[in-house]
Amino acid sequence: MPNVRVVSRNFMEMVAALPAAKLDDLYESPWTCQAVVRSLPPLAKQYVLRLLFVEAAVSSKSMQDWALTDALNKHRVAIDKLEQLRVLIDASERKKGDSYKLNPKLQKQLQEVLRTGGGVPREALPASFAARVPSLADLDNYATKQWEAVLLQLVSTAFTEGPSTPMNNSLAQTFQRAGLITAPKGKEPPKITDAGFQFLLMDTNAQLWQIVREYVASAEDRAMDSADLINFLLELGFLNVGEPYNLNSLSPMQQNVIKELAALGVLQIQAGTKDRWFIPTKLATNLSASISEGSTAPSGEGCVIIETNFRVYAYTTSKLQAEILRLFVRLEYQLPNLVVGSLTKESVSTAFSSGITSDQMITFLTKHAHPHAASKTPVVPETVTDQIRLWENDRNRVETTPSYMYKDFPTEETYEAVVNYARDIGALLWDDPAGQRLIGRAERHEDMRNFIRRQSAPQRR
Amino acid sequence: MMDALTPKDDISQVVILLDANPYFWGEKSSRGANRAETTSFTFDRFMEHVLLFINSIFLLNQANRVVVIGTGATSCAYLYDSQGIEVAANARSARAVKKQSAVEKITQKLEDFVAKEAVCDLNQGMEDTRYSLLSGSLSMALCYIQKVLRGPPPHPRPRILCLQGSPDAPPQYIAVMNAIFSAQRSLVPIDACVVGDQTSAFLQQATHITGGIYQKPATPEGLYEYLAMVFATDLYSRKFLQLPGASAVDFRASCFCHKKSIDMGFVCSVCLSIFCKGQRTCTTCNANFAPNKSSAAAQKPKAS
Repeated sequence: MPNVRVVSRNFMEMVAALPAAKLDDLYESPWTCQAVVRSLPPLAKQYVLRLLFVEAAVSSKSMQDWALTDALNKHRVAIDKLEQLRVLIDASERKKGDSYKLNPKLQKQLQEVLRTGGGVPREALPASFAARVPSLADLDNYATKQWEAVLLQLVSTAFTEGPSTPMNNSLAQTFQRAGLITAPKGKEPPKITDAGFQFLLMDTNAQLWQIVREYVASAEDRAMDSADLINFLLELGFLNVGEPYNLNSLSPMQQNVIKELAALGVLQIQAGTKDRWFIPTKLATNLSASISEGSTAPSGEGCVIIETNFRVYAYTTSKLQAEILRLFVRLEYQLPNLVVGSLTKESVSTAFSSGITSDQMITFLTKHAHPHAASKTPVVPETVTDQIRLWENDRNRVETTPSYMYKDFPTEETYEAVVNYARDIGALLWDDPAGQRLIGRAERHEDMRNFIRRQSAPQRR
Repeated sequence: MMDALTPKDDISQVVILLDANPYFWGEKSSRGANRAETTSFTFDRFMEHVLLFINSIFLLNQANRVVVIGTGATSCAYLYDSQGIEVAANARSARAVKKQSAVEKITQKLEDFVAKEAVCDLNQGMEDTRYSLLSGSLSMALCYIQKVLRGPPPHPRPRILCLQGSPDAPPQYIAVMNAIFSAQRSLVPIDACVVGDQTSAFLQQATHITGGIYQKPATPEGLYEYLAMVFATDLYSRKFLQLPGASAVDFRASCFCHKKSIDMGFVCSVCLSIFCKGQRTCTTCNANFAPNKSSAAAQKPKAS
């Protein structure tokens, strides 16, 4: 089951998985360097800063002294992460991991960033265009609308027999690759999967990152260089929201990317008589912002109020919000700006059977709480959270463990010895002394078999 | 409150109090010139280090915020606010301002600030210009932080960094202490990096009380290293890193009557005001120390 919180971080793991030479090439771009540093765990960031102006190799011993003795775990995680991303390079002469130094390319770029204070990757178009650029509020609306349209396409596969509107082709492919919808078999329309249901309950950042990740993962199929693509995507995050940038100056590959991102609402493309330009929306800043570990980007105003009697009120006009709520809430009636429903055992159980967990539901409800409800503690009434968890436990009363059954022992002594051995290694699940049978865990079967062989061997002699 | 004690991420709000007292820096550079030292630590060099430090903070997390408050001899002013919305006469200049980097904004504001300082000083006549208005800038920083904490969540974790050059100003003792205690109350650590010649007893006490870090770099030329190694550490990482601990803290108080640092003095039994000499009535709360009875009963000597 994909963990909701790690999805956005996985992007950097994908970057780390690139071959070393390609990764080093990535660090030619100051924007990638900054995005990579910001994605690191807090401790690792501090290490990068400390080593930034150190040219010589630093021994791992002295780096270990930076951390407190009871924080060595965190220290190792930080160093591992830095090594994975080749931010730290092994510079030891004899033993591996003896001393480290910063990746020289990254070091050079970051030093430059500190001296100049960063700035923006490319020049915005001159002010004469400013009058034709939509206001920030309009841009936000546009981004939200586009993104909701994308998600609605996904939701539509959940309820109707087939998508009510034919799905955007490249989008459908991306959804399929991400395992969010099933691949179409013959005439049967694609159905939403368990992962797809969970995807709907994630926050926008995590969702966006999962889509972008799939997009990059499939870059090679479409004859794009994944390193170039990563560079460009990370660079986009550093552009100023709401300013126009020239589209014609981009390479054909980048123009393609821009078009696909515009469909997600990350950018808006406008065209004049001669020029075309794109305007990053607030979703674009997420591209560089949301990858940092543990940081919570401010989400939009919530709208959901839950009462102790399991009634759910959502003050929203968004069709998407209502559809998502419908995943685990029985909707009762809808007014122009209000959706009313209640959490029932049936509605929640349906959600469980589509693979949504109680924690995901509660997190969703907490995250989208109406400001009035959010100011209270707990945000979601305890009776409701407890009941949801109890309903989930109801489903988990039976636990399955793969196992082997052993029977027909030659003597009672052998049986006893085997039972004792099984108990010692923690493999015993059930034993029946009268019938001389026992059941052991499947993962210890090898040990069990060897032991039984050894037991019966002397008797054969 | 629990949130404030255990930060979950490393997003910081750093308020930097920049000592821009022209008299202090002027004296420093003229002294350096007299001794014909080429390596003297001038204001220009100081600012290079500070600007590099500010950029480093932005590098660490895109959500980090920085505010710079200039501390002068007679006034204080906000020099830079990374969240700030520039008020511009028209849209075009607004765009121009937006394009400026933090460095350009700060240096421009700093020039304005120092120019204003000079005018202020001429108008007000002679105040003691050796001292910087630390109490004023501390209060401004705390006000700003209160504004942030009362704004919409999520809040970044605030901390104050004092870059102090000029010596402690005894007349500001009470105001500074009040600021320190209110920082302690709102759980805002005060860090201090002293680049002047004297150690600062005020800032030692401030860091001790609020749980911040006090450093007096032995070589001010390497200021950036100190800033990056110690003061760039966010409050989350501080739980896991070895950081310089408090050395001996000068806990001496200043008397309220002559603003002198004293080892031993008299404390008003009603309002705890400190005096260097025995008084008949407390000048702060007007308590009468029963002059006809033994004065020792009302006025206890205070051990340091």
